[in-house]
Amino acid sequence: MNEEDLIEALARDLRPVSRHTLGRRLVGGIVLGGVATALVVGGWLGFRPDLALAMHGPTFWMKWAYTISLAFCATAATARLARPDGGVGGWLWIMALPVLGLAAIGIHELMTTPRAGWLAMWLGASWQVCSRNVFMLSLPIFGGLLWSFRRLAPTRLGLAGATAGLSAGAWGATLYCLHCPESSALFVLTWYTLGMGLAAIVGALLGPRLLRW
Amino acid sequence: MRPDEQHLKALMLKGMDGDGTAHAALLRALLPLLRGFFRRRLGGSNDDVEDLIQETLIAVHQRRATYDPQRPFGGWLFAIARYKMIDRYRRRGHAVSFDDIGDFADEFAFEEASDARADVNRLLEGIPAKQAAVLRATRIDGLSTAEAASRLGIGESDVKVSAHRGLKALAARVRDSLR
Repeated sequence: MNEEDLIEALARDLRPVSRHTLGRRLVGGIVLGGVATALVVGGWLGFRPDLALAMHGPTFWMKWAYTISLAFCATAATARLARPDGGVGGWLWIMALPVLGLAAIGIHELMTTPRAGWLAMWLGASWQVCSRNVFMLSLPIFGGLLWSFRRLAPTRLGLAGATAGLSAGAWGATLYCLHCPESSALFVLTWYTLGMGLAAIVGALLGPRLLRW
Repeated sequence: MRPDEQHLKALMLKGMDGDGTAHAALLRALLPLLRGFFRRRLGGSNDDVEDLIQETLIAVHQRRATYDPQRPFGGWLFAIARYKMIDRYRRRGHAVSFDDIGDFADEFAFEEASDARADVNRLLEGIPAKQAAVLRATRIDGLSTAEAASRLGIGESDVKVSAHRGLKALAARVRDSLR
């Protein structure tokens, strides 16, 4: 094709694009996948029976503060990596704050719990399924983000895949909180983080294949 | 005529607002830039050059929503061009790393100039407005003290003092940023 023909074809019926298109596209993908994840949580795992009560207590909000702050940082980093000339900015470093904060609460838990109760507190009742569930719940959201990326332009595909995976993992974990009755900071710090980390690793491995354009 | 950052950016922004004429003008202006970019890296007679130019034009068009108006247009454009070139070689099984490409990425004058201009603008934003205006007039636009004084509507001694203070403030900022 002749270059002039190509240029005229591209410029014909040009649609305006808003400055917010990129952000909307990412949020759209996350919401799309998030609805699917929420349906799995509600329909298959089931909401925790004491959800309304738990939302009046502090531990539910401690868990949400952790997963939602990680989700925001990872999504912001993903938005920057969705541009061809974008780095991650400081977002990956800021993520250290919620992790350290939760670790501080965990240390406080250890100091206020008799040594004999440490293992039970750390493993809870669901340590064997928690990380797996968080990871599984991240998959629909990761799929939504892949859809978002179809019109975006990442150039560091492994890193963009990793932050997209982490974002999906953290939003998935946020929705998993509606099911999971565990209340220990150490439990969340270990098993939730493991599930989110797994989602990030899988994202990093898939990024170079699935995010190409 | 040498295409410059501000001109291209203005066309890009109009195109993003839906102005088809500006968009076509932008794509046309990119042709020689991209040809130079790819030829320098792939050799003048390479068949890939024309394919890559077209692929890059299509990407610039389809993914124009990823341009952030706060950032230099040149950086965005050449990030896409570089990605398209690496992707092409990777698909064929050549190992090209970003580092290899980076080694000879500094030949392209516009690419550098647009980055440098962005740096200068950022530095000038950090000093008082009058000093920045004087430095722009005398050091960047190359006006004499008298010409700068009449353009800015201030006295000649004010121009000299502001230029002196402005340079000192800039030097301090550069030192800070290197620290």
